Amino acid sequence: MQIIETSAEGLRRDFKVVITAQDIESRVQTRLTEVGKTVKIPGFRPGKVPMPILKQRYGQSVMGEVLEAAVNDGAQQAVSDNNLRPALQPKIEVLKFDPGQDLEFAVQVELLPEIEPADLSAVEIEKPVATVADDTVTEALGRLSKGRRTTEKVEEDRPAVTGDILLIDFDGSVDGEKRPGMKGDDYELELGSGSFIPGFEDQLVGAKAGSDVTVNVSFPEAYHAAELAGKAAVFEVKVKEIRSAKDAELNDDLAKSFGFDDLEALKAAIKERTEGEYGQTSRLRAKRSLLDKLAELHSFEVPAGMVEIEFDQIWKRLQEELARGGADAEDEGKDEEALKAEYRDIAVRRVRLGLLLSEIGRRNNISVTREELQKAMFDEVRRYPGQEQQVFEFFQKNPQAVESLRAPIYEDKVVDFILGTVKVNEVTVSVEELMRDPDEDEAAAA
Amino acid sequence: MSTSKKTTISAERMYDVVVAPVITEKATMGSEHNQVTFKVRMDATKPEIKAAVEGLFKVKVTAVNTSVVKGKTKRFRGTIGRRSDYKKAVVTLAEGSSIDVTTGV
Repeated sequence: MQIIETSAEGLRRDFKVVITAQDIESRVQTRLTEVGKTVKIPGFRPGKVPMPILKQRYGQSVMGEVLEAAVNDGAQQAVSDNNLRPALQPKIEVLKFDPGQDLEFAVQVELLPEIEPADLSAVEIEKPVATVADDTVTEALGRLSKGRRTTEKVEEDRPAVTGDILLIDFDGSVDGEKRPGMKGDDYELELGSGSFIPGFEDQLVGAKAGSDVTVNVSFPEAYHAAELAGKAAVFEVKVKEIRSAKDAELNDDLAKSFGFDDLEALKAAIKERTEGEYGQTSRLRAKRSLLDKLAELHSFEVPAGMVEIEFDQIWKRLQEELARGGADAEDEGKDEEALKAEYRDIAVRRVRLGLLLSEIGRRNNISVTREELQKAMFDEVRRYPGQEQQVFEFFQKNPQAVESLRAPIYEDKVVDFILGTVKVNEVTVSVEELMRDPDEDEAAAA
Repeated sequence: MSTSKKTTISAERMYDVVVAPVITEKATMGSEHNQVTFKVRMDATKPEIKAAVEGLFKVKVTAVNTSVVKGKTKRFRGTIGRRSDYKKAVVTLAEGSSIDVTTGV
């Protein structure tokens, strides 16, 4: 086998491999002998089939097999002889092959770039952190208590104002005709809640308890019941009581009704949950700024083939989105060329960061343990309630599906590791700032 | 029929006479001695076989040995049956001639 390097350009290496005809012939010969030991041909005892007959029967398929093996071997050897770390499967192109002639093929390899991770301890990143303000907890409590409110009769004889709750009986008619479904007794209607036809609630403002009011409204054009849409309707409304809403009192009883021991426990739980949410967002923001920083610090060349694959994926997803009509507002008006260039940049960044992260992980012996993989698998299974069994079986039957879970875990671990190494400045920010979509910042900056 | 007289047969008869090559371990053993084995018609004679093989494969035949292979008695679902007999011809070719039995005519 002869391996000649034809070109070395950046991360690309081209080799030409020549395998002599004799070499192939002898490989075929050995393979045929192997086959001959087991094969059964009528008229011959097993293992006694003469070579010419074997050749005539199995020559073609054995030749194909041998060629494939030879080509793979050649490519492998080209890589290992030169101590290369290929980024992707080498591309192989057969240049020349005729039976009885030397086999010539070209191998194209893209190398993984030599990455020298920058000194991470010098890196400083900002991690936005927000503390849970008491206001937030109070607000959340307020929402809870509103959900459990009770109403109370207003004893005072006063006209109803927006915000009051009226206890009403109503009976509606369209074109002088009463209709079922437009009648109600003892209905609690909050003025200004907008739960009735527009105009209805407004006309009740000012009504006193015990009064009768005739409400003239017309159904909106876009009403869900087609036969009523746009029609004028007259409602005879009897206002029985004016009530005012009273939010549930914040006390231990309320907390108990939510399954907590007392109000403090409820507060703590709310606080904890909010903190968890903030923490996640903080981490995401920190990770993002870390990745930005890393991308800034490193500018090694990336294998074009990997970029191409990544880009194709992004592009395909984009096309699908476009086909669904969900064009990104930001992308509108840009022509295809500009878009492609933009997404190619993103692809380059992703590949570069991916390579960098895996390199850092490799240098620091970060690996994903079986337990972690198992845990991720169970998490995934839990996402499909009711079908746990099937999902579980799917994972058991498809080891590569489990492997696909490995990548995100690995990435997370590496990011955690880096976050542990770099200097993280915690910056206290307001909640709004924390929750703001970083993409928007970018768009604003661009 | 004198030995020098050559039997001539029609082309159709040639194709009729030679039925198939026999490809077995025993038959391939003959290839070392320039012998090729064919299954031939029961009523074919040695001179006919010689003429047919020479005509079909454009070779020179020096000798033809024939034998009748008796069909085996086989039982199938309790009834006794018998496979047909056939005639086998071992044809010796002249030095320098050869037939690739696997390609067919």
